[in-house]
Amino acid sequence: MSRKPYQPPMPASWWLKHPAYRFYMLREATVVPLLFFVASLLYGLYALGQGEASWLHYLAWLQQPWVIALNSLALVASLFHAWTFFALFPQVMPLRFGSRTLPAWLMVSAQWAGVLLVILALWWLLGGVDAHQ
Amino acid sequence: MHDAVKTLSTDVLVVGGGGAGLRSAIAATEANPKLKVTLLSKVYPMRSHTVAAEGGAAAVTMAHDSLQAHFDDTVAGSDWLAEQGVVDYFVKHAFDELVQLEHWGCPWSRQQSGEVQVRRFGGMKTERTWFAADKTGFHILHTLFQTSLKYPQISRLDEYFVLDLLVHDRHCYGVVAIEIASGELVQIKAASVILATGGAGRVYQFNTNGGIVTGDGMALAYRHGVALRDMEFVQYHPTGLPGSGILITEACRGEGGILLNKDGYRYLQDYGLGPETPPGQPQNKTMELGPRDKLSQAFWHEQQQGRTIQHPQGEVVHLDLRHLGQRFLLERLPFICELAKAYVNVDPVKSPIPIRPAVHYTMGGILTDTNCATSIAGLYAVGECASVGLHGANRLGSNSLTELLVFGKVAGREAARVASESHPAATEALLSSLTEQALTPLKRLHNSNGTERWHELRQQLAESMEQGCGIYRSEAGLQQTLSTLNQLKQSYQQLRLGDTGKAFNTELLHALELGFGLDVAEAMCQAALERKESRGAHQRQEPGLTKRNDEDFLRHSLAFYQTGSAARIEWQAVDTSLSPPAERRYGGQQQPDNPPKESC
Amino acid sequence: MPTLEMRLQRYRPEQDSAPHWQDFRVEYDDSTSVLDALEQIKAEQDSSLSYRWSCRMAICGSCGIMVNGVPKLGCKTFLRDYPKGLQLAPLGNFPVEKDLIVDMSRFLEHLTAIKPYLIAEAAPQGQPHRQTPAQLARYKQFSNCINCGLCYAACPQFGLKPDFLGPAAIALAHRYNLDSRDSGKAERMAQLNSDNGVWGCTFVGYCSTVCPKGVDPAAAVNQGKIASTLDGVIQWFKPAKEPRNKEQSK
Ligand SMILES: Cc1cc2nc3c(=O)[nH]c(=O)nc-3n(C[C@H](O)[C@H](O)[C@H](O)COP(=O)(O)OP(=O)(O)OC[C@H]3O[C@@H](n4cnc5c(N)ncnc54)[C@H](O)[C@@H]3O)c2cc1C
Ligand code: SF4
Ligand code: FES
Repeated sequence: MSRKPYQPPMPASWWLKHPAYRFYMLREATVVPLLFFVASLLYGLYALGQGEASWLHYLAWLQQPWVIALNSLALVASLFHAWTFFALFPQVMPLRFGSRTLPAWLMVSAQWAGVLLVILALWWLLGGVDAHQ
Repeated sequence: MHDAVKTLSTDVLVVGGGGAGLRSAIAATEANPKLKVTLLSKVYPMRSHTVAAEGGAAAVTMAHDSLQAHFDDTVAGSDWLAEQGVVDYFVKHAFDELVQLEHWGCPWSRQQSGEVQVRRFGGMKTERTWFAADKTGFHILHTLFQTSLKYPQISRLDEYFVLDLLVHDRHCYGVVAIEIASGELVQIKAASVILATGGAGRVYQFNTNGGIVTGDGMALAYRHGVALRDMEFVQYHPTGLPGSGILITEACRGEGGILLNKDGYRYLQDYGLGPETPPGQPQNKTMELGPRDKLSQAFWHEQQQGRTIQHPQGEVVHLDLRHLGQRFLLERLPFICELAKAYVNVDPVKSPIPIRPAVHYTMGGILTDTNCATSIAGLYAVGECASVGLHGANRLGSNSLTELLVFGKVAGREAARVASESHPAATEALLSSLTEQALTPLKRLHNSNGTERWHELRQQLAESMEQGCGIYRSEAGLQQTLSTLNQLKQSYQQLRLGDTGKAFNTELLHALELGFGLDVAEAMCQAALERKESRGAHQRQEPGLTKRNDEDFLRHSLAFYQTGSAARIEWQAVDTSLSPPAERRYGGQQQPDNPPKESC
Repeated sequence: MPTLEMRLQRYRPEQDSAPHWQDFRVEYDDSTSVLDALEQIKAEQDSSLSYRWSCRMAICGSCGIMVNGVPKLGCKTFLRDYPKGLQLAPLGNFPVEKDLIVDMSRFLEHLTAIKPYLIAEAAPQGQPHRQTPAQLARYKQFSNCINCGLCYAACPQFGLKPDFLGPAAIALAHRYNLDSRDSGKAERMAQLNSDNGVWGCTFVGYCSTVCPKGVDPAAAVNQGKIASTLDGVIQWFKPAKEPRNKEQSK
């Protein structure tokens, strides 16, 4: 038989082969620090339920440098993830007006504007709480 | 080397997966859903060269247009060498076929109201060309291919290459093919065979055709005694890119593009196509919208007089689209913008595109009757490989895509009809002896210890055709090319392959294609030599032969294959029953029956 | 003329058990495409080299190959852009048949599976449907796919699981689902909803980057996820199987 197709192997390191794949893996990897963040939140909730001593212990734990480092990483990761998510959004939900699509940059900017608004609103809300005390 | 031959059998075998082949496969299965239809092609159907057609497909559509007008344009365009009964049938069925394609999902470009939009095209009196942006052939081909997937009765043999037809006693029993992936040979029995193998533009050096457009089907039928009709008529498209020959569609001119020589002058007005129209306001059948043969000839004269522009890839003139504006160009001619940027590094929004004529279309082909039947029982031909008689001496742009559909349907229906009837079965002994014969050239190629290489021979073929059988022809030039062809045929016997494998041996396929091309080229030259007049795309230079001569040559040429000697030419009367020959007029010399111009 | 080093992956199924590299040197100028270079090699250096091509104008979809590891059309990639030389290999993720030729049959099966044709109730007799430019614009981009397979070579999910329908097939399904003339969406959803359908995609997004025709198959796949989710919700509320009629276009 003259036909003998060669199936190239797919090595476990496939994702190292191209920047596009590495970028994708990085995006997927953001979930790891976020997991840590969620776990520490849960721990906090649990500590709150256990009484004051436990809560203080939790606060002390939070201030350890490595915990701060990991949580900062989680913040960066979530911002990065948001950035990739926002960038993909126009592809997933294009907004059409007649035969034209809303330009992608506009949609991405609008999403960031939304984030800014939410942050400002939170700021204002928390600031409001302070004023009452 | 090739010992075992596999056998397959089917009812209707379609050779070719372009627009013509796909349309006929669908028609055959719709005509009789009980039949087994097999679609065989040397490339995946969607790679067929129909994919490259840009401009559009013609059918009378607008209220102010008429079937008579489409008929008149086609007949005048053909320089009265079209079969008028065929043209009549064609114009009457064109609209329905384009609608059929619409019902199958073709994304035709639309007006704001949602109705199909039509554009102007060269040689057509009124706008009647349907288009899908500037990728009409692409969309037609993919629509047909995808639609064909709906029918379980249609099975495909993708990447199979037909070597020969199984013909005995003027009856076709099937084909012999190579499965390209494995190199295995297959004998395919069929009650009827449709050849839809496309044109032969690749026998020329400089052409708009894909690598697969090598005249295979024409040569197959020709070698078995079917006449090739009107082969001397080879259309040069006036606007190919220098170097590659890649096509810049006529729609550019339909939308208002203008042609300029080195002085920035719209030279077409000097060649009976004027008066000059304002840039961006094209007028049908005038200036840039004159027919292709006239435009290509005008380039030739400009070049002779030194008024063309030097370009690294040869002499060119300019196609200027700048006045149309970026937005319009990106909407109506996006593919052209892409091609110009990639292949000549020109942005049509900012600079004119360098262009020159390139071989584009073979008007002639396998002689068929109005039912697409050849002189061999059970053998049909359709599309660019065939000569049903629509184009005569010059094809009008946008008539051929419609031809694929209108006559693809006819061929499919007829082949299905014949396959549904009872027919003489060939004995196994006969079939295997026919198959044995069919394999002779292959065996010779494999066993040759000659020294010739296909690539050099092909190069010589292409150059020699361009030289002697180009836009203008003369006895001396044609004789020269014929003698080159003769030598090439000798050398061909000494061809030797560097690739001795079986799997995907593309060198073998190129060699076989070259063999086909040599026969087709010879038919072209011999017919050109014997047509001692100038008509449509065939222009002779000698004094006394530069005009149309209806008295002697209002006839089709028929080329018959002769083993070991040049083609024999016979002449066949033309059907001019509906419109007697008159002069072809373009530009300001047109008859006053010109309808008022639509503005859009 | 300047010359350039090219490294080609060769594989001859009748002799080799695995591919190997071979070096060639080709002449080139500003307009030499990778396909031109391959033709030069085949004509002058090694006539047994095999690759696919036809139109040489980026529309037939035959000539997909990996150029320095990136899926490209050979006829639309120019040597001028690779002054350091280039490496050519067959399209990734497909079985290699010979040299630069891959087996595309999987791709064809996937295309066929999603019913890529108009499924419509009665069409207007002898007349075209009406379809406004806005309705056309909804699916037009997805109808521009030339079936070159570059997106499959870019898709790790297809590499890991060849049963995944893949970018182009899903984009084509989406093209018909978005067509105002079509009412076959329900028939296509079965395929799209499956594990090998839209949910096989993890939005790597590289398919859209390599697509030479701006089809953006990743967009189609991920719009398909929304459609698939909605479809699931609808099925949930409407368990009785009845064909849903799409409203006729105006
Ligand atoms: C660049 C370009 C632009 C054009 N634009 C327009 C336009 O705007 N309007 C218009 O009306 N016309 C246009 N034309 C002309 C028109 O597109 C062609 O005439 C038409 O598409 C030919 O279709 P076909 O089906 O006959 O052949 P093709 O589409 O060429 O198909 C031939 C088929 O035969 C198969 N085949 C050939 N030989 C063998 C073999 N030995 N074994 C097995 N299979 C074989 C091939 O694989 C292929 O599938 C254009 C042509 C070109 C080149
Ligand atoms: S979607 Fe793009 S990359 Fe994928 S097959 Fe179609 S044209 Fe090629
Ligand atoms: S050769 Fe047709 S796409 Fe490259």
